[in-house]
Amino acid sequence: MEAAHRSSFLREWILTVDHKKIGILYGITSLVFLFLGGLAALVIRTELFWPGQDVVTPDTFNQLFTMHGTIMIFGFVIPMLTGAFANYLVPIMIGARDMAFPRMNALSYWLFLLGGLVLLSSFFIGHMPDIGWTAYPPYSIESKGLGLDLWVTSVHILGLSSILGAINVIVTIFNLRAPGMTFTRMPLFVWSSLVTAFIQLFGVPALGGAVTTLLLDKHAGTIFYDVAAGGDPMLYQHLFWFYSHPAVYVMILPAMGIVSEIIPVFARKPIFGYKAVAYSSVAIGFLGFLVWAHHMFVAGMQLSEGVPFMVTSMIIAVPSAIKVFNWLATLYRGQIEFTTPMLFSALGFVGLFTIGGLSGLYLANVPLDLHLHDTYFVVAHFHYVILGGSLMAILAGVHYWFPKAFGRMYNETLGKWTFALFFIGVNLTFFPMHFMGMLNMPRRYFDYSYDPSLTLLNQLSTIGAYITGLGAILLAVNLVVSAVRGAKASANPWGALTLEWQTSSPPPHENFEEIPVVTWGPYDYGEPEAPRKRLKYGQTIGSRPLSG
Amino acid sequence: MEGSLFLPAALSETAKDVDVLFYILTGIAVVIFLLVWMLLLIFLVRYRRKHPTKQGLRLYGNTRLEIIWTVIPALILVVLGIYSAQMVYALQKPPADAYEIQVTASKWKWEFTYPDGPNGGFTTLNDLRLPADKPILFRITSTDVIHSFWIPELRIKMDAVPGRETRVWVKPLKEEGKFKVLCAEYCGTAHANMVSDALVMKEEHFGKWVASGGKVDPSGQPLDGKQLAQQFGCLACHAIDGRELAGPTWKGIYGTERELVDGSKVKVDDEYLKESIVNPNAKVVKGYAPSMPAYPQLSDAQLQALVDYIKSLK
Repeated sequence: MEAAHRSSFLREWILTVDHKKIGILYGITSLVFLFLGGLAALVIRTELFWPGQDVVTPDTFNQLFTMHGTIMIFGFVIPMLTGAFANYLVPIMIGARDMAFPRMNALSYWLFLLGGLVLLSSFFIGHMPDIGWTAYPPYSIESKGLGLDLWVTSVHILGLSSILGAINVIVTIFNLRAPGMTFTRMPLFVWSSLVTAFIQLFGVPALGGAVTTLLLDKHAGTIFYDVAAGGDPMLYQHLFWFYSHPAVYVMILPAMGIVSEIIPVFARKPIFGYKAVAYSSVAIGFLGFLVWAHHMFVAGMQLSEGVPFMVTSMIIAVPSAIKVFNWLATLYRGQIEFTTPMLFSALGFVGLFTIGGLSGLYLANVPLDLHLHDTYFVVAHFHYVILGGSLMAILAGVHYWFPKAFGRMYNETLGKWTFALFFIGVNLTFFPMHFMGMLNMPRRYFDYSYDPSLTLLNQLSTIGAYITGLGAILLAVNLVVSAVRGAKASANPWGALTLEWQTSSPPPHENFEEIPVVTWGPYDYGEPEAPRKRLKYGQTIGSRPLSG
Repeated sequence: MEGSLFLPAALSETAKDVDVLFYILTGIAVVIFLLVWMLLLIFLVRYRRKHPTKQGLRLYGNTRLEIIWTVIPALILVVLGIYSAQMVYALQKPPADAYEIQVTASKWKWEFTYPDGPNGGFTTLNDLRLPADKPILFRITSTDVIHSFWIPELRIKMDAVPGRETRVWVKPLKEEGKFKVLCAEYCGTAHANMVSDALVMKEEHFGKWVASGGKVDPSGQPLDGKQLAQQFGCLACHAIDGRELAGPTWKGIYGTERELVDGSKVKVDDEYLKESIVNPNAKVVKGYAPSMPAYPQLSDAQLQALVDYIKSLK
């Protein structure tokens, strides 16, 4: 068997239906998109180093931020979390041999690749979309060239990939759990992936519908957004954000899941408040569908119509706060080891996601949004959520599961340098943006000659972007070199309790020699204190772990 | 009236109210941020693992703590929500005596129409004038794509949506003030150049300005074309004494007929001169490079003043 697999790259990677290999394919493809999206970001930041026109024309700039946003969201963050991590981890974490529908799983990946290539093809044929990742009509419909057509086609293909992936995750979690793997023994990453899959399943069709109306208006003569004929551009914004706000939770919930896996392992403590962390994911998933119009407070709705959405948007801050407090409490009286994944999770994710969460409160607030909407404050906010949150967790996860996936250790010193560069770079890039927005800089501005005093803030931000870029290069070097030359990894180098660490590194085909019977919780670390006074309130003691 | 490190100068009552809310929320956010980072750093340092095999405390949770850190943030948000919601209703309803200005956005300019003045109203281009200490209702629309009408110093923003009239009102403070109107909704190539001047004027100055149809400057003096020509840098390329610089001299140019790069001819009149200022590359005179920057931000009154000045250079 093994020999036959090794004999052919085609058989082993192109025709594979193994969830781990599909996960790795997703991961590598997503990382390539990360670099492409990052390059676009560097050109954008270079242009903004000085006021006036410097390195690109306004039209190229508009195309670049459109490509940057679309690539990072649909080509990197979502497929990395729901494709790479969920694919690799969900089956093995619940003690399954594979996904419920392995061939459909392979189809999801190949559709993702196709969708990504369609988007990239716009660059090669010189028709990059310039419509922003939001593609608001009527601008997007009037936009010349094939940009919109390629963008919509790509979004459709990627959406189909997402829906198939979501169905697979849901069915796998409900049906393929190993004996003893009850819902409350599932690792928290599995919980968050389950909620994420439901969000994708319910949300993506709305996005598909929305972008289809753009194509119909452009080519089939419909009048959804043609005001002269009685259409209304605001319809699109409602449809778009009905998916795209929940999509934010698609980008953050699995990241929270990753962090919830890593912190207990390196603190050698059970996760504090397992149920609170798990159920707050469910709450976020549900509430995420009720906040969309907070993107539209000044879009032409009556202002007071924003009030219910302000309320729901503030409520959704509560489950996020609960998670942050539970992670902090997990560190309390732990035995903390500072590995690269732990640095990315604790200082990176917990520390920076908090900033992104707090700045969200400003934007959820209708009177403040009157000033801050569509400014660089918004750019700062969502980059703190997506880089401070999602990216930090992704990099934590990439380092943490690297030994499992490749059977070799990454270089810890390089890993810590990578963390330092990303941490400094992200903060230097995005913290000044809060001030740009609060002062007077709208987002998607190619030039700020109207107020040259914005120059210093912009230059700090650009320097930060280049530092982040250096971090990305270091990351690539570390991963590529370690995959070939790294020290051999044992089955369980971190001493973790979840099932993926109870099998070899990398795991065999179909994951386990024998399907495990689960008799312990995923985070049963630690030693009970002799007089257990502190455990009086709501305490529970799990059964002893088999190892660890 | 100077702005802080955080926010630009607050030149309206709305701005003052919004800023109070901003600083309250910032206070709350800073406290939470410090709390989280303090605990994070203290725990990371205090509970650092010193022996590789050591385990932490087997502590699965604490219901009372969970309730505390659910309820306290929720209560803070309830208070904040009630305070903000009241403000929303006040912001929404303009006073009955508000002065109405029609704002028309298009790619890539702002037009402001005032309800009175000569001939029952007039329109300015990229030149917004507001009377001090008087409530103003903006009735906003767009002729093409979505734009967004943002005045940072007044803390108001409202999208300009084709086919719809959106509204926002504001009351500038007593003092005079100068600032910019920016477009905050992405609208294509020159999105970042869709900037208009804005000026709060004493009420009597505003009255005179409106009565003249926008033809006098705030102090009541007629616009001076020569001064504008210096201010906008026209004289760097256009001589007024007959010399040929990068552009044609203005001396005696008015009324002549010039040959264009495409061979056609054009008579230098008011219309041609205005077009050449707003959109210089539309009709370039033979022998000159199409290198003049466009000045779409000039108001009609400014354009007319410039043309009158050129006309005067016989």
